[in-house]
Amino acid sequence: MAKRMREFIRIDPELCSGCQRCHTVCPVDAIEGEPGEPQKICGDACVMCGQCVQICSAYDAFFEKDADWRVQKLRERNMPDGTNEPLFAAHYRGNFLAVKEILMHKNKFTMVQCAPAIRVALAEEFGMPLGSLVPGKMAAALRRLGFDRIYDTNFAADLTIMEEGSELIKRLTEGGTLPMFTSCCPAWVKFIEDKYPELVGHLSSCKSPQQMAGAIFKTYGAGLDGVAGENIYSVAIMPCTCKSFEAGRQEMKASGYQDVDAVLTTRELGYLIKEAGIDFAGLPEEEFDKPLGIYSGAGNIFGVTGGVMEAAIRSAYEMVSGKPLDSINVTSVRGEIGVRRTIIDAGEFQLKTVVVSGLKNVLSLLETVKQGNAEFDFMEVMTCPSGCISGGGQPKMLLPLDVPDAYHNRRNSLYRHDEELTYRQSHENPEIKTVYEQFLGEPLGHQSHKLLHTSYKASS
Amino acid sequence: MNAQLNSFVVADPKKCIGCRACEIACAVAHYDKEIKTVGCLDRPLISRLYLVKTAEVTMPVQCHHCENAPCVKSCTAKCIEYQDNKILIDEERCIGCKSCILACPFGAIELIISPCEIEKKNLLSMNTGGKENSSQAVVASKCDLCTRRSQGPACVEVCSQQALRYVDFYTERKRRQSEAAQAIGAFVESFRGQEG
Ligand code: SF4
Ligand code: SF4
Repeated sequence: MAKRMREFIRIDPELCSGCQRCHTVCPVDAIEGEPGEPQKICGDACVMCGQCVQICSAYDAFFEKDADWRVQKLRERNMPDGTNEPLFAAHYRGNFLAVKEILMHKNKFTMVQCAPAIRVALAEEFGMPLGSLVPGKMAAALRRLGFDRIYDTNFAADLTIMEEGSELIKRLTEGGTLPMFTSCCPAWVKFIEDKYPELVGHLSSCKSPQQMAGAIFKTYGAGLDGVAGENIYSVAIMPCTCKSFEAGRQEMKASGYQDVDAVLTTRELGYLIKEAGIDFAGLPEEEFDKPLGIYSGAGNIFGVTGGVMEAAIRSAYEMVSGKPLDSINVTSVRGEIGVRRTIIDAGEFQLKTVVVSGLKNVLSLLETVKQGNAEFDFMEVMTCPSGCISGGGQPKMLLPLDVPDAYHNRRNSLYRHDEELTYRQSHENPEIKTVYEQFLGEPLGHQSHKLLHTSYKASS
Repeated sequence: MNAQLNSFVVADPKKCIGCRACEIACAVAHYDKEIKTVGCLDRPLISRLYLVKTAEVTMPVQCHHCENAPCVKSCTAKCIEYQDNKILIDEERCIGCKSCILACPFGAIELIISPCEIEKKNLLSMNTGGKENSSQAVVASKCDLCTRRSQGPACVEVCSQQALRYVDFYTERKRRQSEAAQAIGAFVESFRGQEG
């Protein structure tokens, strides 16, 4: 199973020119081959981050391949027949067709969630400026596509902070494996399971926001709409090519069903909108559905490196010190550098944090953890270079020269959105309070344990 | 000799890794509107330089902007012309006779659906709900050295290996002359040293 999922990222030998530019971005050196020859991805090493998909520029040149060849390849990749996108050598196999069918037949009650990074990138696929902030248009587009509930991953990111913040405090005060690692990046989790099995205990037991949302949709969400969990089809729109693997993991069935039925990338959501003939730029701004589409700014910044750390600090600081933060913006954990360390003073507590973006940057830190002399308590790791905004499923730039601008603008838009939201801290989100009162009980409680936490497999 | 020789872009096969980034940059530079992402494409990418990959060599080929251009001589519609040190095709006047394709020793010319025609087709399909016009005008197309770009040829700019060079003969000759002068100077110097 896992093996098959991993082959979602592939290199087409008919298109690969062997330029090896993908070798320069692969964080786990999973790509093999001789220069000038078609390259191969080693399925055991690949963490499915999709960075190779983003950099590859070898495509089916117009005069070289015929139409039948192209149609067959489009089908293999689950791409729409009518697309004008070139077919690149490094690619992923998506779920576009499955979701299109479900929306057409309407025989399931559909719930959709979008990761934070989608709302700052989707518009790029419709010719709007790089990094345009479009949560309202995104919600409107999803509604026109026929989704029954427009919920949001950001709600679940707030939930993650409640659980992960409490878990961190518990490990610090009552004893537990330290330092604790974040667990929302599925490529990072897979990497630890495969390459550092002895360290799986350091990962937070919290599921990622995608999977927390999935578990809540088919239980609490099902109850709200009086639909049986089995009649819900739950779709996640992600900037990430590894999220599909995460959704397919055996253990991700806390609701009694597969918690997330299908994952689409930002690009695939673009295909759906285009096929439906929706004029994206002309859409009005609409709201997400209540209650599972309500979110705070803290949940929203999960999409950029340092965001999970900042969101956690915004809540954990107050839980521990009982005092409000001097400034909601914890700018010391932000930035572009691959490894960023900070010390947060919270009353009698001193929290030593480190934020890592780009998997290669974490190697030396993991060695210190192994040797037992890590000088930090809590580490956030994102596989992709600037966090999820730079994920493998995000819009692909035609020119490499535009990539830095895209990252920069997407990131600024996420922070701007955070600043303009009513609630800036996860525990302030009124719908989070309600879900605990009415359904979950308390963070780390029985129900949370069942639905929102998981355990990891140390691969041997 | 005339200092105003035509410029052109040339690839260094020792540096080229065959990634095709230059082809994409070329197609984007000649697209009818500004686009940034792959998802924005509403028609196929059409490049004006062509990656050649054989067992012996990997490099893109493109128009050399020949001084005695065979394409100019062959053009039955007289729409290929010398302009500002370049050879340019007036796509509006091209009749698609393919003589230039046969004449070009570099294989640097291709027939494409006319950009003006695409405009018309877009309008048409909006009005007819997508029904395509069966008669599409095809025109000859080739490297125009990115006349419309102030930064110069897009292919040169994008290449991560610096395998493409924009050869401007005047500067090129000056550079070679000064390199040669330095080399000769050093040689004469050392020669004199030996003589004592
Ligand atoms: S997959 Fe793409 S980037 Fe990697 S070697 Fe092949 S052509 Fe180059
Ligand atoms: S998906 Fe990521 S880990 Fe896998 S081969 Fe591509 S760059 Fe490497």
